[in-house]
Amino acid sequence: MPVISPNAFAPPAASRAANDAAAPVAPALRELDLREKVRRLERAHSAQRAGRQAVALGVPAIDALLPEGGLLTGALHEVEAGPAPSGRVAAHDGAALGFAAHLLGRLGTLRPGGTLLWCRRPSGAFDAPPYAPALSAWFDPARLLMVTVRRDEDLFWAMEEGLRGTGIAAVLGETRAADPVAGRRLSLAAEKSGVAALLLRGQPAPAQAVCTTRWRIASAPTRSTSSASFGLNDVGTPRWRVELRRNRFGLPSVAETPSWLLEWNDEAHCLSVVPQALHGSTRESDVRSCGARLVGEGGRHRRLA
Amino acid sequence: MRLADARALVPDLLTTPGAPQADRRLLEAVAGWCDRYTPWVALDPLGGAVAEEGAEACSTGGFGGDAGLLLDVTGCAHLFGRDEEGERALLADLVQRLSRHDLACRAAMADTAGAAWALARFAERQADLFCPRHGQRTALAGLPVEGLRLDAAIVETMLKLGLRRIGDLYPLPRAPLARRFGDQPLTRLDQALGTVAEPIEPRRAVPAFRTRLAFVEPIGRPEDIAAATSRLLAALCRQFEQAGVGARRLEIALYRVDGSVDRTAIGTSRPNRDNPRLMKLFEEKLGELDPGFGVELMILAAPEVEAFDGTQDVLPEAGAASGTAVLSADIEGMVDLADRLALRLGAENVVRLLPRDSHLPERVQTAGGAARPAAAGAWRRVADLKGARPTRLLQRPEPVEVTAIVPDDPPSVFRWRQHAHRIVRADGPERIADEWWRPRTDGSRPPANTVPLFRDYYRVEDDDGGRFWLFRDGPYALASSGRPAARWFLHGFCA
Repeated sequence: MPVISPNAFAPPAASRAANDAAAPVAPALRELDLREKVRRLERAHSAQRAGRQAVALGVPAIDALLPEGGLLTGALHEVEAGPAPSGRVAAHDGAALGFAAHLLGRLGTLRPGGTLLWCRRPSGAFDAPPYAPALSAWFDPARLLMVTVRRDEDLFWAMEEGLRGTGIAAVLGETRAADPVAGRRLSLAAEKSGVAALLLRGQPAPAQAVCTTRWRIASAPTRSTSSASFGLNDVGTPRWRVELRRNRFGLPSVAETPSWLLEWNDEAHCLSVVPQALHGSTRESDVRSCGARLVGEGGRHRRLA
Repeated sequence: MRLADARALVPDLLTTPGAPQADRRLLEAVAGWCDRYTPWVALDPLGGAVAEEGAEACSTGGFGGDAGLLLDVTGCAHLFGRDEEGERALLADLVQRLSRHDLACRAAMADTAGAAWALARFAERQADLFCPRHGQRTALAGLPVEGLRLDAAIVETMLKLGLRRIGDLYPLPRAPLARRFGDQPLTRLDQALGTVAEPIEPRRAVPAFRTRLAFVEPIGRPEDIAAATSRLLAALCRQFEQAGVGARRLEIALYRVDGSVDRTAIGTSRPNRDNPRLMKLFEEKLGELDPGFGVELMILAAPEVEAFDGTQDVLPEAGAASGTAVLSADIEGMVDLADRLALRLGAENVVRLLPRDSHLPERVQTAGGAARPAAAGAWRRVADLKGARPTRLLQRPEPVEVTAIVPDDPPSVFRWRQHAHRIVRADGPERIADEWWRPRTDGSRPPANTVPLFRDYYRVEDDDGGRFWLFRDGPYALASSGRPAARWFLHGFCA
């Protein structure tokens, strides 16, 4: 992430004055002040983007942190599959795909009937393409235009073409390649057209500096609705551990990386946060991040009210 | 004549080994070059047939010196002048341009392919090479009978009987001639005289729509080629408009000064005659064309057209999908995008997902053309099952090793790709039977009076929170029953 110092652009006198003024203030407050300034600078930097729109994810706790109260259109977003709770890297990204499909479905509501462009590079005989009957939970698969490519360059090219085209609601690219130049191009093309671009990564990938938000999704154990008298319990509704690892233009969070346990409700077609205490997580990191999150959210709710 | 005999006669004879393949390639190249005059170009079928038989036969014909090309220039000569003048000018132009490339050639023009063939090979005077309309009877009369494209044995017999000229055959009664020599001389004679039609099979499919642009000075700059393409396209679009069609495929050919030809093509997913839009597609492709030392002629052809009434029909399915009116500009944009993507990635790589009526999960989803999305409600039927379906489906189910406590239960542990997954939750089974009315993938039909095979699908969750879609192929079988043990497969990954 490019760090822009507020002093770099301010005239020298003003910066000195700012420093002088900031000197007596408590360090924590000064830090907040600086953060606010950086945020303003970054926003000014992108102020030329006219008519910025955002689409809410439908989870108030997350939407409150995001700029404009939701996922920005005209920006690049990254969704990557994270390691399982045990720390093992999952061999598949069924959960990340579900979350990406949810984002795609939400973005699709902005332009009803618009095409959703899905670009992917098949991985030979062991390929597992997205399965439309499951995707129909989030959007109508008839809206999908599936593009398969052989090379990553073609994938980025196809995404860029999609962003430039008309009648496209959102563009998704499945790739493990992290090409900073391509990422930058995609981000600029998205800014120009106002169409959102998503990158879906099946494995944890090197970070792309240019994306507006980066999400890390891992599937989490579900809660069985009924316990069987013998044998195994049934599988509950899908649960995902969602980490917001980057949130450009968004409100700063107290936690290093805000993280939630989300549940997808198939009947109500919505995501909801699972209360952590009820979930009964025993992992130390969960408790810690959960505590930080609750503190952060408390402050936010007061402000919003 | 054998080589040894020839050497005995002329001791300092120069010899080079024959290269029929190279000869054929040269002839193909010349044929491609001849497309500049007419799309209807064929390699001389007789020469080709003889060459196939091998080197021995080449001494009597084939691709040595006797190879030829047949050009049907009906309706093409007007570009060179009026009526007969144009035809003469075309012929002269052809010979002159070919000789500029150091190719010795003789070209004749007549009403029929047979007559032109005979004149090109056996005409004695230069003036005879052009046969005026309906003049083939007199023109052929003085030529030797070899000019009728007959088998060598028939020619030999005819010569023995004193039938030396084609004109000698005219007064003979037809029935005895047929009895003596078979059908061939009569058929060939009729074809040469034009009483029987002789179809020529063109080397390339002949497009119904075609425009050409010849340049006084060869051009080579990319901008010039683009400008010429746009002029050709404008002319072609006018033709489309008059005929009420739109192009599905367009092909542009650059005829370079060195006699070679470079071609490229674009395709559209729907019939189109919108000039700027087609030009945009061409712009992507023109960079691939190599003008070489200069381009003297460009031809734009539409090998594939479809009826097109001019009003862009809005895709009703896409409109109804969301229940709201969709701007037709959006659909136009989508079709444009699909065309551009298909141009670079191939049309089979830019597809829509279509539902199919099937119980088998891998058959439910199929691919269709980019401009024809599924109907709005089409996916709704399968959507009822969405909770139980995986978000990713393996193209090929992968075998897994399982451990189950009770045989008919979901497994307690499964091992996939060297990793053991301990199962803590499971849903199922969902039994999906084989579609007995359909042949299996290996082509065999299930034998009658047997229980159709089925799969028992389970949705399972491992202790890491990963959710998988497993199935058991067929019923559980004891080792003592003689049937093969049921195998387990991993088929997909759930959200």
